[in-house]
Amino acid sequence: MKKKTDVVIIGGGCIGAATAYELAKAGLKDVVLVERHTLSCGATGRCAGGARQQWSEPANVRLAKASIEMFKRFEDEMGRDIGLVNGGYLLCAHTPEEAEHFKKNVKMQRENGVDVRIVDPKEIREITPCINTDGMILGAYCPDDLHVDPFLAVQGWAENAIRLGVDVELHTEVTGFKRKGNRVSAVITNRGDIECKTVVNAAGPWSQDVGRMLGIELGTYPERHQICVTEPVKRMLWPLVVDFYVSIYFRQSAHGSFVFGHSDPNEKPSYNIRGTWRFLEEISKKLTTLMPSLKDICIVRQWAGLYDMSPDAQPILGKVSEDAENFLVAIGYSGHGFMLAPMSGLLMAELIVYGEARTQPIDALSIKRFAGGRKHKEHNVV
Amino acid sequence: MRRITEHPILTFPQGKAMRFSFDGKTMEGREGDTIASALQAAGVRVFRESINLRHPRGFFCAIGRCANCSMVVDGVPNTKVCVTRLREGMAVETQHGRGSVDIRR
Amino acid sequence: MINTEILVVGGGPAGLCAAAEAAEHGAKVMLVDDKDVLGGQLIKQTHMFFGSHLQYAGTRGIDIAKILIENAKKAGVEFAPGATITGIYDDGVVTALNGGKFIKIKPEKIIVATGAYENMLAFPNSDLPGVYGAGAVQTLMNVNGVAPGNRVLMVGAGNIGLIVAYQLLQAGIDVAAVIEVTDKIGGYYVHANKIRRMGVPILTRHTVSRVWGKTSVEGAAVVEVDKNFKPVPGSERNYAVDTICLAVGLTPLTELLWNAGCEMRYVPALGGHVAWHDENSRTSLEKIYVCGDASGIEEASSAMIEGKIAGLNAANALARKTKLTQKTYDERMKDYRAQLGQLRRGPFGEKVRMGTSVLAGEAAALDEPIESLPKDYRSFPKGARVIIECEQNIPCNPCETICPHNAIKVGKDIVNYPTLDPEKCTACALCLTRCPGLSLFVVNREYSPTETEISIPYEMIPLPKKGDAVDALDREGKFVCKGKITRVLTGKKFNRTSIVSIAVEHKYGDVVRHFRASAAAKPEEKIITPADIPDDMDTIICVCEDVTRRQIEEAIDRDRAQSVDEIKRLLRCGMGPCQGKTCQRLIMQILAKKLGRNVAEFSPQTYRGPMKPAPMGVLAKAHDEEKN
Repeated sequence: MKKKTDVVIIGGGCIGAATAYELAKAGLKDVVLVERHTLSCGATGRCAGGARQQWSEPANVRLAKASIEMFKRFEDEMGRDIGLVNGGYLLCAHTPEEAEHFKKNVKMQRENGVDVRIVDPKEIREITPCINTDGMILGAYCPDDLHVDPFLAVQGWAENAIRLGVDVELHTEVTGFKRKGNRVSAVITNRGDIECKTVVNAAGPWSQDVGRMLGIELGTYPERHQICVTEPVKRMLWPLVVDFYVSIYFRQSAHGSFVFGHSDPNEKPSYNIRGTWRFLEEISKKLTTLMPSLKDICIVRQWAGLYDMSPDAQPILGKVSEDAENFLVAIGYSGHGFMLAPMSGLLMAELIVYGEARTQPIDALSIKRFAGGRKHKEHNVV
Repeated sequence: MRRITEHPILTFPQGKAMRFSFDGKTMEGREGDTIASALQAAGVRVFRESINLRHPRGFFCAIGRCANCSMVVDGVPNTKVCVTRLREGMAVETQHGRGSVDIRR
Repeated sequence: MINTEILVVGGGPAGLCAAAEAAEHGAKVMLVDDKDVLGGQLIKQTHMFFGSHLQYAGTRGIDIAKILIENAKKAGVEFAPGATITGIYDDGVVTALNGGKFIKIKPEKIIVATGAYENMLAFPNSDLPGVYGAGAVQTLMNVNGVAPGNRVLMVGAGNIGLIVAYQLLQAGIDVAAVIEVTDKIGGYYVHANKIRRMGVPILTRHTVSRVWGKTSVEGAAVVEVDKNFKPVPGSERNYAVDTICLAVGLTPLTELLWNAGCEMRYVPALGGHVAWHDENSRTSLEKIYVCGDASGIEEASSAMIEGKIAGLNAANALARKTKLTQKTYDERMKDYRAQLGQLRRGPFGEKVRMGTSVLAGEAAALDEPIESLPKDYRSFPKGARVIIECEQNIPCNPCETICPHNAIKVGKDIVNYPTLDPEKCTACALCLTRCPGLSLFVVNREYSPTETEISIPYEMIPLPKKGDAVDALDREGKFVCKGKITRVLTGKKFNRTSIVSIAVEHKYGDVVRHFRASAAAKPEEKIITPADIPDDMDTIICVCEDVTRRQIEEAIDRDRAQSVDEIKRLLRCGMGPCQGKTCQRLIMQILAKKLGRNVAEFSPQTYRGPMKPAPMGVLAKAHDEEKN
């Protein structure tokens, strides 16, 4: 393992892998990505793989839209099939408040160039014939949204980063840092120290642990979300469907299995990734209510992943402390990190290589926003 | 492949005959059969085609564990026929690749 | 929510004995099994069992099942057949799928007696219909009464391979050969001898190189291997068979234990990964006990005793006081440990003795010396008319138990070789019908001035008739001379083993051990040569997802995969409907071979519930009931 490098990236999930690739692509190859277990073993490996542009904050919409464009080019650029289903996303509204919210969002999203429209229940049934629209007032449908296999995407980023000269060190755990003045001088790992010029914290749900090694409180925290998968069946559903009212999201993967999960308002911050039997009952009730024809289809596996939550459910990018000027973060994605990973990688690379993000501004995502007490919470989270 | 009628140690009760269909053809099994044993007795060994390579697959573990024997039974795909008891009038079909969900159900 | 004190998962010999024992001491016990008929593997076993009368030696497996079920019923055990446990959750709830219902159980203690599952062997076209697990063949044959095929190649000469080969012959199905990749027959010689003398060749140092057929098995190629398990060029031989029966070992079924969070250890001598457990059968989780094959691969006789130990200890550990006294506990533990000790003596117990000591973190205890086989065990002691040919030290003594004249002695250590006292023996032949190995014969040299009469235990149909002229066969099933059936004894008293006597010329009296009807000629083997030779790299490893050996090796070589998890993420092995149950072991073997490491260094993927695919409609219904 290298003892000295330019950039150390902590975390072998989608954010770390995408950042490593974009850095190498921009010409900065002296990069070491350290991952304490194996690629995708953390939050990325447990996520549903969806990518949507339908957000309530314009900055998120622009980030997401650009990321989706990058996902579409992924197979050509990386040389790896990532099981992309360009089936779109369908959000369903059950209450008048939700319906108004959707209409407002769709207007803003369209102004930002997103191909999205409001659909009535009849149209919803045309787009997804198997769905039960009882109780739905309307939906927001973006046929341009997509869903992919997260494992294959991370593999694609990592193997291309390696091809371009990046070192990916697995089974390498960061245990601390060395400092010189107001800079981090080295990363301490279980396999030795790595002197470096820049550190990127892409540790996902463990982002706060890494921050605390430097004595920095990042404000992020891990939250469990349960998810499960069925046996495969022939394709019958194209879009990823999100219903905030019922609290469920579900998609049928390229493989033919249904992958679905929800948000549980009773979850407290924790590292617990064990499944519960109540989840199986609840999520089955929710899905069979929306898709009654799936009642005989079987769940084969349940698991849980951690969202790296930030106080306003939006990511935190960039520098976080004057005491550690070269310690950058790309964290707090609150359950939508994977879909923003392509652009995150690019913007973090630009920040490191050019000193500033060029393709899209990221000032609004700086940690400084919490100091002012102002919070623009992202609402479209499930 | 055939029913064992005589055995030095075991006695096999002659279960009541049961009619079922396999890919539209009328077949006969016996009470007490699993769908798999009824098909085997009738000489049917291919229960499905695999999802990617379309290889013929059939009976293997007999305990509902390996999923090799998945067929479409009464419209329900991925049914493990080695642990599903035969019932009168069942409609059993070869599962070609992934089974389909009948969305009208 | 069903509340119970002790939940026993698995209704085989271990589970039934555990449940009966615990209930006997007053505990409230519920036993679940995923099949709707209890008895586990016992209900398929037509042969008589070994051990001592304390473990029902000399009784057929199918009959032992009935006895154990009756015992448990009488003790007050509540049965829940047809219920598959799908998970042991952190809140202490155990979930199960029972018919169309999702049920929840909250037990104080859980005894896991889930048995074992069969190892998979992968070779070109091993995914063709017609390649079956040995257990599956037994179920089809002995439970459903359906023949698995017409002509079988048995892969594996451990006890299961040998026993199932014999059972195939009993069902009238032809067995072309039994092949074993190592240089030794792993099972008891008595099981091997039974099929050898019926003409089934047992080929050691042989393995199946490939199988072919249009839509199901039509033929197989068998190849000899050298001591490094590499195929010997030019040794390939084709067999016209329609069924390949895989009996290549068992692995403990430990998913629930992994899922619950028990500490697991890799102990090859016990069959693979097992839950660490102490000598009271308790795992690292205070609530969970383990017994039977799930705790280490062994015989059913041991499973019964392990079950009793688990049931005794679980009952003893309940929060409330039961009928169990300290005195009874101590006495029973002493007795059960002694019985297990007896069953684990001799060469066949070596593996388990080693495995249990590895688990206990101790050096393997040396077996006390066994009386060596008598010098004349293969010849005829003067005057003896009952000839004992069991040839190995197997813990077993039903011959001693059944003899009404005390003519056979095994002794307190049931692993001793039986000896015959010719003075006391009347050649009543009762012992022939109780020997689980069918290895006792009566040889009467005074039958006639020119003939010796040999009486053999016979469990085949059709039975010959007195006076029939037959071909007399030697121990290898080869024709020796013509013979005549002199006597056929059959009936209830003989426990379904008939005694058939044949008269042959004196000089063949030491050699003849079987017969066949003269008219029966061995069918001419029609060898069909396959059109093309498939590539070994196209062997399907993950059957659910159609993943080949080539793809897995590429993932290791090109994509840097070094663990089961990484291969799973790249190729989906283990994500299919069987959730890795069939392919895990094969993938670990490939990883070990390619990376030059020990299989022990690889962990299977995390076991996550539900352990059986759960229909969403059933789960949704449970949710509704939970809410009301």
